[in-house]
Amino acid sequence: MIRIVLIRIGRALLAVWIAITAAFLILRLLPGGPVALMLDGVHDPQIEAQLIAQYGLDQPLITQYFLFLWQTAQGNLGTSFYSLTPVADILLTRLPWTLLLAGSALTVTLLIGIPLGVYGSVKKDGWADQFLRFFGMAGQALFVPAVAVVLLIIFALNLGWAPIGGAIDSQAVSAGDQFLSVLRHLALPLISLAFVQLGPYALTVRTNMLQILGSDFIRSAKSRGIPVRTIIWKHGVRNAIIPAVTLAGIQLGALVSGAVLTETVFAYPGVGRLIYESVLRQDYPVLQGAFILLAVTVVLANLTTDFVVVAIDPKLRTGSRS
Amino acid sequence: MTNTMSLRTMAKMKSVSPSARTWRRFFKGPIGWVSVATVVGIVLLGVFGPLFVTYPGSYGSAPPLAPPSVEYWFGTDSLGRSVFDQVVWGTRTSLIVVLAAGTVATLLGAVIGIASAYSRHIDAFFAVIIDVMLALPVLPLMIVVTALLGSSLTTMVLVLGFFSWPEIARIIRSNALTIVHQPYVEGARAIGASPVRIMWKEVLPMVSPLLIVNALLTGSRAVIGEAGLSFLGLGDPNTWSWGKILYEAQRDAVMVVAWWQTLFPSLLILLLVLSATTIGVRYNDSRMQKFTGV
Repeated sequence: MIRIVLIRIGRALLAVWIAITAAFLILRLLPGGPVALMLDGVHDPQIEAQLIAQYGLDQPLITQYFLFLWQTAQGNLGTSFYSLTPVADILLTRLPWTLLLAGSALTVTLLIGIPLGVYGSVKKDGWADQFLRFFGMAGQALFVPAVAVVLLIIFALNLGWAPIGGAIDSQAVSAGDQFLSVLRHLALPLISLAFVQLGPYALTVRTNMLQILGSDFIRSAKSRGIPVRTIIWKHGVRNAIIPAVTLAGIQLGALVSGAVLTETVFAYPGVGRLIYESVLRQDYPVLQGAFILLAVTVVLANLTTDFVVVAIDPKLRTGSRS
Repeated sequence: MTNTMSLRTMAKMKSVSPSARTWRRFFKGPIGWVSVATVVGIVLLGVFGPLFVTYPGSYGSAPPLAPPSVEYWFGTDSLGRSVFDQVVWGTRTSLIVVLAAGTVATLLGAVIGIASAYSRHIDAFFAVIIDVMLALPVLPLMIVVTALLGSSLTTMVLVLGFFSWPEIARIIRSNALTIVHQPYVEGARAIGASPVRIMWKEVLPMVSPLLIVNALLTGSRAVIGEAGLSFLGLGDPNTWSWGKILYEAQRDAVMVVAWWQTLFPSLLILLLVLSATTIGVRYNDSRMQKFTGV
């Protein structure tokens, strides 16, 4: 088991390293060169000299690379062209909102997706199953902003149940009011993000579950006269949970991509909305930093799901004893 | 009598080629027809539509933000331009981007997937890259690259194509792995066929049905990817695409007010992706005996 954990940690470190290296290379290898890009729009000679010194732009590429790795490892992601404040500081004020949105969307997807997939597999070809299959296909075809706009028109514009954008009311003073305000603002972005993720997720859970229900040990359990309910829950679902957790880890990348679009529509002040704003402002250091931060976040979350799988999968547990 | 009849029908059934049987199963029931007709319809709209519709310029003569009417089928935007015209021209651009990006991704995925299955050294290298690329959040990466390269159709195609091949490569690799150990491939190697010839003549034809399915799925994802990038303002500023119509709606803060500006491009995205995915999945199911009913 320790061996598996170490391999997973090694893979995560490798992924982070490749992401940082990619971020470095993208900015250096593109036409125009880093100096032109980084200094484009900077007219203050003092800042120009500071930037050149900070990134070592007058040094050879390999020196720049190690300088970049060293700076990134220390959490120094450069300075925003737009606000002239450290990128890391900007990102840290935005990250909690993205974590809240993506985390709650993931939770909702798991809590609804697993029972839905199980139900579809048990009542195979029933009307709920047929709906699930269509929903799973349609989920891949839905464009997150379109879902968001439909929700906005119904629940914000016509019914007035939810605010049209933002993450918290500035007038909310007491902790209770603030909490309620955060929930009210979270509802629509959460639903649109989870709605798109849910279908494909439940569909895959259904496929896994069908495969398990069709296997020999289920048939022998049936022939031993074990009640169907026990077979489904104790023999089927317990086995289906493991690939479901792994799948959640795989979907994290798509979840973050969806969060970028969702935050943009709802003016939700997370990293995704920051990316949209930075594209408009051509604020490359922020874009680069946001990518590195999101990559590290996804890799860490992936590592966590790996650990969860190791913890709940008895097959991996016995591996340590041999 | 009955005996000869059944023998005759059996002989008849045998003469049907596997591909004919696949297509017969594919077009059984309305779903196959409807999804093919939808894709064909959208392609025709993209190819011939712009011949009948004037290109929406930088400003229009119609009343701004008018809802759909007989005169303006899809309504107008905040600058008084017909959304229908934008959608028609956008269909052409989106289709071009998706076709080109899908081709790039499919070619890369096929070459890398087959080569990985064939050579252990190539596999060791690309396995890591595929793993990492599938683990990283792709949209933020595509955004950074596009923002730096500058928005254009070429950038869009290259970025979408270059970040979509790992999925195809992984599937083709595992499929090709079962083929490279087949006796007939060993035979080809024994009579001295070069690796390139074996991969091209022996392995590629065997993985090509799966490749077609995954090319369709990748193309579908590219539709969403194109829309996502354009929506964030990274599309070609000089041409209309479905994502760009949505971007303008978002930029002018009329997404909710002028619902028609959001609805129609989103509807086309949904229809194209849904029917292309359905064709892919259904073709795959029709090819196998197992039929999951999509």
